[in-house]
Amino acid sequence: MDIERDLLKTDLTRRRFLQGTALAGVAAFLAACTSGTSESGAPASVSIPTPPPATPTPVPASPTPVPSPTGPLKFANWPAYIDLAGKAGEAQVYAPGSSPTIEQFKKKYGVAVDYEEKIQDNKTFYATVQPQFQAGSATGWDLIVITDWLAARVISKGWAEKIDHGTVPNAVNNLVDALKNQVWDTANDYHYPWQSGMTGIGFNTKVLKAAKIAEPKSLKDLFAIQSNKVSFLTESRDTFGLGLLKLGKSADPSSPTLADDLQAVHDDMKPLVEKGLIFADNSYLKNFAAKKTWAAMVWSGDLASSGTEGDTFQVPEEGVMIWTDNMVIPKGAVNKYTAELMVNFVYDPKIAAQVEDYVYYVCPVKGADLEIKKLDPGAESNPLIFPPADVQAKYHNFQFLSDDIEAKLDELYLDLTGG
Amino acid sequence: MTTTRATTAPPGKWRRRLFAAGPYLLLAPGLLWLLYFFIWPAIQMFLMSISSGTLDNGFHVTGTLRPYTDALTKFATQWGNSLLYGAISTTLDFLIGFPVAYYIAFRGGRYKNVLLFLVIAPFFTSFLIRTISWQILLGDEGPILAFLKHTIGVMPVDFSILYSPIAVIAGLTYNFLPFMILPLYVALEKIDIRVLEAAGDLYASAWQTFRRVTFPLALPGVFAGTILTFIPTMGDYVNAELLGSPKTRMIGNVIQGRFLQSTDYPTASALSFVLMAGILVAVLIYARALGTEQLTG
Repeated sequence: MDIERDLLKTDLTRRRFLQGTALAGVAAFLAACTSGTSESGAPASVSIPTPPPATPTPVPASPTPVPSPTGPLKFANWPAYIDLAGKAGEAQVYAPGSSPTIEQFKKKYGVAVDYEEKIQDNKTFYATVQPQFQAGSATGWDLIVITDWLAARVISKGWAEKIDHGTVPNAVNNLVDALKNQVWDTANDYHYPWQSGMTGIGFNTKVLKAAKIAEPKSLKDLFAIQSNKVSFLTESRDTFGLGLLKLGKSADPSSPTLADDLQAVHDDMKPLVEKGLIFADNSYLKNFAAKKTWAAMVWSGDLASSGTEGDTFQVPEEGVMIWTDNMVIPKGAVNKYTAELMVNFVYDPKIAAQVEDYVYYVCPVKGADLEIKKLDPGAESNPLIFPPADVQAKYHNFQFLSDDIEAKLDELYLDLTGG
Repeated sequence: MTTTRATTAPPGKWRRRLFAAGPYLLLAPGLLWLLYFFIWPAIQMFLMSISSGTLDNGFHVTGTLRPYTDALTKFATQWGNSLLYGAISTTLDFLIGFPVAYYIAFRGGRYKNVLLFLVIAPFFTSFLIRTISWQILLGDEGPILAFLKHTIGVMPVDFSILYSPIAVIAGLTYNFLPFMILPLYVALEKIDIRVLEAAGDLYASAWQTFRRVTFPLALPGVFAGTILTFIPTMGDYVNAELLGSPKTRMIGNVIQGRFLQSTDYPTASALSFVLMAGILVAVLIYARALGTEQLTG
């Protein structure tokens, strides 16, 4: 029983969680990157979804006299994506009462929180709420955590509630600069990042040493390793994003030559597939341990939180993918004000540090590094949680794609993976 | 007249009516279940398969045949893999399962129930877990290959099974074996041992007895077993996903990819329909070839 539970947890929940977070992270990071590195990040050729006009929401928040929190707050998140204590922490599965952050929120505002690890995959989750969005009815959720590209889509359709900045001063003040000014929601009217992650190269130093293989420092190195000992990611944006960097092409979602470049990436990878390359989610951790895989495209948070001794995350010389999962309040949320309180609450650096010390993804909250020092000395300088400036300079966000490009990407990806 | 009869007769009449309707009433839950969970979704899926659109903008029935042309022309490799892996693992299941079922039926004695339980025992663990376990079993440094490579050294060090067709077929064969054994057992168990003795009395050799008496009598089980094994292996995607590589994908993986990755519901629906129709036709041909009276007998 226990073995089964553990297996399920690590193989399904965890990987799905990572996939999702990976997606989300990349998007956010991309957005962050484009805004951070260049003002011209959003080329004119991409149709940028314009956030819908800020309609005054008919939800309790509008009256200026202080609204009171209502509940239960329906909060949908990815598995193992919030601090969990005790047994739940070891099992990496949320149980009511197991998250200090949720408990502190409930105590502070005297409101019930129905936190559910309901999102294992952006597309699958989207399929469950899309019909309600389309029909203009409430989804039943007050706060959801979705990856950049999906957040951008939901916001562009006008399916997100406008966040009242007056209620979320922590978020306004503490959001890291790199994640501000996303092309799809420049003023953070509709979203705030939950966590980010990087996609780069991973390997286990001990395994490589035993196999007498040099540690790959660049994507070129990774592609040169014997293909049946390498895995790429099941997340098409991550795999193709890194593929673009490897070829020295622009990984800017608005690049005018993107369709051809993606085709070039496909053609570059196809021979590797013929030679036995596989596509994996975070099962690469298991494959490192079994010496089945020597090196892989991986998500940073995985190696930080679940990796074993010798597991290493390498920022490729060519650049690294960054994505973010974002908190979004779906249209028609019954407890919108409480959802905003939650957004504000988790942007308190103390709370952010508490969450980070469990989930180990890239933290979007300023000042959390100082707070995490008190909880877990040394974590403040962990480059996977607080990436240094030279790493941030290599960020590429390949999340927010036009419909045409996304269709092209799906087709190329499915052809490569045989699905 | 009629009114009098109607007033005097009701109890008997109603009882008779109820009695006549009895079988249908008893069938009703099952029929409703089928209607709601099979017929209705099948209709929905058919309508989806002739629709156009996207998830975001909604799908609309347009009568387009594009999903079907895509389903039939684009995925030759995966259709081929499904057929090939399905056929090989069904054959292997038969070759492995028949002796097992035969032994349990004729030699099991008082251990019959224990042996049958052992056949079913793997089902107490989830399908997914069992398949993931095969990743460990077949791993490059797993118990089997490590033994062959290092302990007795009969295999090159970089030989690998995991993520190859062999691994997928092994997983399929293992996962669906009980579906072969159980029907075979039921058929063999029904055979009257005196028939076999009679064959012996008529100077049939052991092999002749098997070929001309036992096997023909077991045919209904062979039919049921192969059907129960072949259909799920054809449509399976878990084994190809967990134990295979992009080169070993089956049609089930394509359907999954169209549904979840590219949200191309029409093509996914068309693929599912073609798969269902193909299997139906194959089963009909197979039933005809084996002879229908044999099967009911």
